[in-house]
Amino acid sequence: MRHLADVPRWCDDVPDFAGPARSARRSLLKAAVLGRREEPGYPPAAMGEDGAAAPSVLMYTVTGTILDISPHVLVLWTELGEQRFLLASSAAAWRGGKVAPAALRQGDHAIVRRQHPSVPVIDRIWAQAGRATGTIIEREGPATLLVDEGPGNGRKIVMIASEAAGRIQVRFPRLEPGYLIDVIGLKHDGFLHALIPATSQPPYRAGHPPAPPLASRHVPDPVNGTAVWHEPGEEPADLLGLAYPALDPEETCERGGPARPECAGDGHEIDPHATGPGCVRLPYLSMGSMLRLRNDCAQRSRTVPVTSCGATARLFCDRCVTCGTSSKGRIADLTMAAFVELGGALEDGCFTATMTIGG
Amino acid sequence: MLTAVRELQVALLAVLLLGGFMTKVWRVLRTRSLAAAMDPAALFPLRLRGPMVAAMGAIEFGLGVALIVTARRFGTVNQGLPATVVRVCAVLFFLVAMAALNETRQRRPEAGCGCFGEFSDTPIGWRTITRSGVLATAAALTIGLPPLRMPSSPITAELWLAVLAFELSLLAFLSPELGEVLVRLGYSEPCEVRSLPAGRTLTALHSSSQWRRYASQISAAAPADVWREGCWRFVVYPGVARDRRVDIVFAVYLQARRPPIRVAVLDADTDEILGRPELAAAGRN
Repeated sequence: MRHLADVPRWCDDVPDFAGPARSARRSLLKAAVLGRREEPGYPPAAMGEDGAAAPSVLMYTVTGTILDISPHVLVLWTELGEQRFLLASSAAAWRGGKVAPAALRQGDHAIVRRQHPSVPVIDRIWAQAGRATGTIIEREGPATLLVDEGPGNGRKIVMIASEAAGRIQVRFPRLEPGYLIDVIGLKHDGFLHALIPATSQPPYRAGHPPAPPLASRHVPDPVNGTAVWHEPGEEPADLLGLAYPALDPEETCERGGPARPECAGDGHEIDPHATGPGCVRLPYLSMGSMLRLRNDCAQRSRTVPVTSCGATARLFCDRCVTCGTSSKGRIADLTMAAFVELGGALEDGCFTATMTIGG
Repeated sequence: MLTAVRELQVALLAVLLLGGFMTKVWRVLRTRSLAAAMDPAALFPLRLRGPMVAAMGAIEFGLGVALIVTARRFGTVNQGLPATVVRVCAVLFFLVAMAALNETRQRRPEAGCGCFGEFSDTPIGWRTITRSGVLATAAALTIGLPPLRMPSSPITAELWLAVLAFELSLLAFLSPELGEVLVRLGYSEPCEVRSLPAGRTLTALHSSSQWRRYASQISAAAPADVWREGCWRFVVYPGVARDRRVDIVFAVYLQARRPPIRVAVLDADTDEILGRPELAAAGRN
C-alpha cells in the first residue's frame, strides 16, 4: 500500500487561486475602462462585465467539521466558529451513499445546504465527499490507482471499494496507465475510497482528446456544457469559485509567475496545455474573471470568479446526463462549495450548465 | 420516373459508404488511435470494439467497391446474382445500422454515431436513425435493377439531376454532420481563442496615441497587472495625476494590427473614475 507522502509532487502543485479581492479589483478596473453593458459605447464584441464586486459569499452553503449530530440538530465547526443547524424533516445525508443524518460521525468534514439563505435549516448534508479526476499513471493490484490530477492539483491515490468495483469497471473499462478516470467516493487520510463513477470513461487515451467544433466569428456566449466539481485542495473549503479550462496561455497554473529553477524538466504525465483546447471552444480568460453560471437542472444562477486553473477538464469530452443530455465538454470545474451553492448534488458529479462570460 | 430514382441509388450508396469509410480512416490516422473511431461500436464490450470498428470499415469499403463493380456488366453474370447479393447485403447493412443506432441511443444517449468520423459527434437522434432507414430503402430499390447506363436523352438527364438534388437535400436534412462541415468551410479563428503574447500587446500599446497621451502620468516602467478576457487584454500602470495616485487602465483589443485601445484613469485610493474619454465620447453621440 502506497502512501501519498511517497508520491512525488510537481513544483507546480502549489495552487495559484485568485482571492475575492483580486477578482473584485479586476472587475472594477474592467468596468471602468469598458463601461457597463447598459452604457452607451460598450463594445459589442467585448466580454461582459460584472461592475461592482460580485457577491462572493456563500448564501446556501456552509462547510465545516461535524462536532455533534442528532436526528434534529447538526453542530458544525466553521470559519465563524461553532454553528448550529436544524435538520429539515426531508433532510438527506450522504456518506459514501445515502444515510440517515444521525449516521454521520463526529470529525467528518461536511458540506451542507440550507433550504433558504440565512435560515439555519438544512436539507442536504455531504460528509467526507471526495473525488479523483485525471490520468491514471500507475496501477497496483486490481484496485489501487495513482491518479495525476493535472496542474495545480497534484496526485491522488485511489482505492476502488470492492462493492463498487463492478459498477466502476463497467463505466471505466480501462483502468490502465494513460487513460482517464473520474470517480467519487469517501475521502480518507491520504487516499480516496472510490465508490461512484462520475462519468463514462472517454475511449481515447488522456493525451488525445478530440478537437472542438469550430466557431465562426465569435465564440458563442452564453456557452452550454457540463459543470463538475473538485476537492478544495489548498483552496479554502468555502471558496465560491471555479477552475476554468481555458486560462490565458500567458497566465496558466504553471506560468502564473516566474519559473523556478527546480521546475525545469518537471511535468505531468499528460500536460493538458499540450493537448489542444479540448472539445469545447472557450474564450481565454484570466484569474479573477467573472462568469455567470446557471445550473440548468436546478434553475439556479450565481456569478462566480475564476479562482484556479481547470486545464484537466479539457481532457474530458463527456456529457452530463443528470437532467437531459448536455452539450459535449466541461466548461467549468467548480469548487465543492460553489457546486452545492448552485444546487448540484455532489454524488451526481455534474450538472448541465449555461455559462455567460462576464456575468 | 421510378427507374430514374432506382438508377441513381447505386452511385449514391457507393459514395456514402466509401465516404463513411474514408472519414473513419482519416480520424484514426489523425489521432493515431483506433480508440478515436470506436463510437459506432459503443454497444460492444471493450475488447470487441476495435475488431468491430475494423470489420465495419471493411464492410463499408467492400460494399462501396462492390456496388460500383457490379453496377454494370460484371453484375449481370449468372442472371445478375453478384449485383443482387451485394445489394441485399447493403440493405441488411443499413437495417442493422438502424437497429444499432436506436439501441445506442437508448443506452448511451450522449454518444455520437461516428458514422462519418469526427463530423458525427452529435448525439444520435431521430434524424440519424431515419437516415439509415432511408438508405436501407434506397438499397432495396436497387435490387433487380438492370445494368446502369448513361441517360438516353437530355430529358432523362434532367430527371436524374432533379431526383439527385431532391435526395441530396433529404439526406442533408437528415445529417447533423452537415452543420459541422459548413462551419469548418467558413472558419476563421475568433479573437477570443486566438493566442497572442502579452509582449505584442504591450508593443502595440506603447506605439499608440493613447499611450503617448498618458505616458507623462505613468510612474513605473512595468505594468502593475496584466490580464486577458476574451478579445481584450487589460494593462494597468500606476501613475500620478494632479498630485493624486492613480491607476491607468488600458484595454487593448486583441488583433494583430492597429488594435482599438481604450483608457480609464482611476483614483488608486478611492477607485473614483477620473477620466474615460472613449465612453464619454460615445455617450455624447
